[in-house]
Amino acid sequence: MLKFLVRRTLVLVITLGIVSVLAFLIPYVGGGDPARKILQARVSDPSLTQAQVDALSKELGLDRPILDQYLHWLGNAVTGDFGYSYTSRVPVSTLVVPALSVSISLALAALVVALVIALPLGIAAATRRGGKIDNAATFASQTAVSAPEYWVGPVLVLIFAQYLGWLPSGGWSGAAYIVMPAIALALRPMGYFTQVSRAAMTEVLAAPYITAARSRGLSFPRTLVRHGLRNGILPVMTLFSFWFAGLLGGSVVIEVIFNIPGMGRLLYTSVINNDVPVIQGGLMWILTIAVVVTTITDLLYGVLNPAIRVTHA
Amino acid sequence: MPSLTTAPPPTRREPWRRSGPPSHRPNLFAVAIRGLRTRHWTFYLGAAILLLVLLVLLLTPWIAPYDPAAQDLSNRLAGPSTEHWLGTDHLGRDVLSRLMWGGRFSVTIAAITLVICAVVGTVLGAFAARRGGWVDEVLMRTVDVLVCFPDVLIALLLIALFGTSYGTLIAALTITGWTPFARLMRGLALEINAKEYVEAAEILGSPKWYILYRHVIPNAIRPVLAMSFLRFGHKLITVGALSYLGLGVQPPDSDWGAMLLEAQPYMETAAWLGIIPGVAIFITALSVTMIGQGLDVQKPRRKRATVTGARDASPVRLAPIEGEAQ
Repeated sequence: MLKFLVRRTLVLVITLGIVSVLAFLIPYVGGGDPARKILQARVSDPSLTQAQVDALSKELGLDRPILDQYLHWLGNAVTGDFGYSYTSRVPVSTLVVPALSVSISLALAALVVALVIALPLGIAAATRRGGKIDNAATFASQTAVSAPEYWVGPVLVLIFAQYLGWLPSGGWSGAAYIVMPAIALALRPMGYFTQVSRAAMTEVLAAPYITAARSRGLSFPRTLVRHGLRNGILPVMTLFSFWFAGLLGGSVVIEVIFNIPGMGRLLYTSVINNDVPVIQGGLMWILTIAVVVTTITDLLYGVLNPAIRVTHA
Repeated sequence: MPSLTTAPPPTRREPWRRSGPPSHRPNLFAVAIRGLRTRHWTFYLGAAILLLVLLVLLLTPWIAPYDPAAQDLSNRLAGPSTEHWLGTDHLGRDVLSRLMWGGRFSVTIAAITLVICAVVGTVLGAFAARRGGWVDEVLMRTVDVLVCFPDVLIALLLIALFGTSYGTLIAALTITGWTPFARLMRGLALEINAKEYVEAAEILGSPKWYILYRHVIPNAIRPVLAMSFLRFGHKLITVGALSYLGLGVQPPDSDWGAMLLEAQPYMETAAWLGIIPGVAIFITALSVTMIGQGLDVQKPRRKRATVTGARDASPVRLAPIEGEAQ
């Protein structure tokens, strides 16, 4: 187990190292002098003298060797300092941290909704394969997976905000504001969770230890809870962590539609404005959380399922 | 007692050589569609819808009722009528014609991206399984990390760096899109390479390409095909999402996502503008999903309930791998 832990941590550190190099190189990709780009972003005036560009280059240390710059940038980044936003002139962390907390609550709300619906549905479908519930669950999951959230979102707004007036159409200032975006975001993970929990439970229910438990006279619901769920839930857990990581920055469209001040919208606007420090900081935060969450899930996997612990060690 | 030396030498069968007995060449097409008649009914429904959509898109230049760019400002935001079956948009353009022309962009971009992803993914996956060791480790860790990358975000970033173009769009969607295929193919290749018949073929001295062609590809083609169909809907939705954000298909071209974006300000007065293109994406995505699952999952045969309470538990392969994050 210790070897497994060390190995995963090492992979985590290497991954983040590579990602940090890529994030650092963002201003250099696409050609052009970064200092000139920064000035252009600040003053939106294409006629810049070389003297102005050189002055900024010196001020920001952009004339130093690139490895030097990277190490300096990395040193600051580790402490959470990604510099100042080009457009709003505030530290990147004051923009990223609140946005991140908004996105985390939105992602968790959506995924919990998805899980609460999908898990029972998947298990019910697995216990009676080919039955009515199974067919309904399969069809529901296919439907949910195929519905684009940028279509579901506006249609929900039309129904529940415009016609019925039950829910606010956008913004972020209370529990009511989370309902529609969470539902729109929950649809696709719900479809996948249903399919995965059905497949996992199907496999588990065919396992000899289930037959053994039933033969010993354990009732079916009890077998399901005591023996089935513990193994059947593992793939769903992995998928949950993937989706959680993916939704942190991936809910761009929903955040734009519902005017939610989350990570997706922050990165979207900073990409539009070419606000490089915010892009770098945002990406590093999201990916760090994503990689840490998936690594922890992997470790939990090992804790819950001794077979994996043995084969990986 | 006959001497052992007088026995005739055993004839070696080397089916990869052109001479000799008729070879058992796999008919890959037959393998891919084998068991087509025993599919679930949703498979046929999906196939019928997809064929209809593709046929309409193919024939668009001849059957579209209007020029998709022709404006008629005196007749803007008109509801469905006999002249304009699906009404007109904010510039008085015929929605049905725009839907048909836009669909050509949506479906083509999604299809090109998908084919590149499938090829890159399966090749890398098979390579990782074959080589093993650090190659396998590096590739699979890359996959693990890329799975966490939200693809819309990566596309945003690349478009910001390299500008909006179809090339950027396709490249951006490929970077994050090949991973499910690599995972699937690696798993399949590991499974197939461990089979006795592959071992036997190796002992008989079959060349690697022959094993690949005779054993690996026929065994992998259906799951890969199923995965392709399952991912197609996802690609279609993502392409639409980027266009919806104004970063995908650029004017004067238009696709279903761009139509939804244009319809946003008129949701209250002309709701059909914001509903119809979404329905088009939804129907197309649903049809390919139905086909994909139909290919992947065998039609469940009814068996009597077992002691476990579960019926007919044949393994289902794709779903856990397919359910990647966005």
